Amino acid sequence: MVGQAELDRRKIVGINAETVTNVTSTDFPGQWPGEDHSWDLDFFKRTFNVKFHSNDQFDSSFSLIGLDASVANAFRRILIAEVPTVAIEDIFVIHNTSIIQDEVLCHRMGLIPFRGSREGLRWMHWFQKGNDEDPEGSTHNDYNVCILNLQIECAWQAGGQMRAVNGETDPNKLYNNHNVYARDIIYEPTGQQITRFADDPVRAANPDILIAKLRPGQKINMRMYAMKGIGADHAKFSPVATASYRLLPTIDILKPIIGPDAEKFARCFPKGVIGLEPITREEGQREGSEYKGHEGEMKAVVEDTMRDTVSRECLRHAELKDKVKLGRVRDHFIFKVESTGQWESDELFLESVKLLKIKAQRMKRALAALMR
Amino acid sequence: MSGYVPPTSTAAATTTTSTGEGRSVDYTCGDCNAAVSLKRGEPIRCRSCGHRVLYKQRTNRMVQFEAR
Repeated sequence: MVGQAELDRRKIVGINAETVTNVTSTDFPGQWPGEDHSWDLDFFKRTFNVKFHSNDQFDSSFSLIGLDASVANAFRRILIAEVPTVAIEDIFVIHNTSIIQDEVLCHRMGLIPFRGSREGLRWMHWFQKGNDEDPEGSTHNDYNVCILNLQIECAWQAGGQMRAVNGETDPNKLYNNHNVYARDIIYEPTGQQITRFADDPVRAANPDILIAKLRPGQKINMRMYAMKGIGADHAKFSPVATASYRLLPTIDILKPIIGPDAEKFARCFPKGVIGLEPITREEGQREGSEYKGHEGEMKAVVEDTMRDTVSRECLRHAELKDKVKLGRVRDHFIFKVESTGQWESDELFLESVKLLKIKAQRMKRALAALMR
Repeated sequence: MSGYVPPTSTAAATTTTSTGEGRSVDYTCGDCNAAVSLKRGEPIRCRSCGHRVLYKQRTNRMVQFEAR
C-alpha cells in the first residue's frame, strides 16, 4: 500500500524553466506493480469534490477536484459545442441602404446572442436544412423557427437640418434612429410560441449591441429566422463566451527566501500569491534553523496559489530558482464558464453534465445492441 | 454563401408604372438628395436644384442571406 504523500506527489505536474514534466496521469490499472487503480464508484464519490469560487449570473468559477482530464475536457467541449441556443440563421433583406453591406450586416446579425424562455427553447425542435440526402429539409414551422423583424429608418430631428448648417456635428442632436441597436429587433411570435414564450420572449441578451449606423434617408428592413442550433455547427450557437479550465498551480518554497530576496520573489508573482511574514524570535534563535540570525527580517510565504498565472518569472532569477519548485495539481480543474445570456453559468455546467450522461447512455445502448 | 432569390414579380421594383413608354424610374439627386422620377428621353437633371448627377435607388427585391 502506498502512502498518501506518494499519491499526492504523483498528482503534481512539474513546471521547470523550459520543460513541463510528469504530464500524464498514472492512476490506471497495470501502471504500478501491486496497486489496483481500477475505476471505482465509491472511491470516486469519496474523493470527488466541487468548490465554487464565484457564481455570478453569467460568469462563474468553480473547481472540480479528483476527476480525470478526459472527463473535465469533455465537459468543456460540450459546453462550447453542444449545449443548444437560438441564433439568427436565415435573413431576408428587403431593404438596406446603410453603409454596411448586406452580407456583413447579416453576418453580424447571426452573431448577436439571443435569449428566451428556457422551457420554450427545450420545446423547440431542430431545423434540418436541405442537403444531398434530404433535399427538402424541414419546413418552417412555429416549433422550429422564431421570426424576428428589424425595421428602422433614420430621419432628421425637428430643426436638425438647421442645426447642421450652424455647425452642429453631434448625431444625437441631429438625427433620429441613427444608431441601430440589438433592442430594435422585434420578435414576432407565431402559433404555439405565443404561449410558450409569453413570459420570456425571444430577445437580444444584450440590448445595447450596436448593429449599424444610419444617416437620414437610410433604412434597414429585414426579416430574420432564428433557429435552435449547437456550437459544433457554428460558433454563434455556442452558449458560452468562454468555457475553460486550468490546473491549480502549486508553489513549494524549498529553502527559506529572506529579506530583499523575499520581496523580489513576491514581485515575481501576481499580487496576493506570495506574502511576507516576519521571522519570529523562536525561529531566529533555533539551533540549526535556516532562519538563524535573521530574526525580525521578512520571509516569503505562499498565500494563495489560485491567483498564480504560472509565469515562471521566479525561475529566471539565479538567487531564487533553486529555492522554489513550481507545479500544478493534475486533478484539480479550475473551471471558468462565461454565459452569453441564454443560460445561467452554473446551469450551463449542469446542462453539460446532462448531455454527457445522455451520450454515455447512448453508447451503452449501442454496445448492448452489439452484444445481442 | 448567399442564396439569390429571383424576383417574384417581373416588374422592376424601382419603376412606378410599367406601361411601356410612360414608365418612370426614381432616382436620388446627388446634390440635394431629392427624389427625382424620370421618364425615358427626359434630360438627366434634378428638378429642384438642376444638378446633373443622379443616383439609382437600391432595388426593392428581397435578397436572402445565411447569417454565417
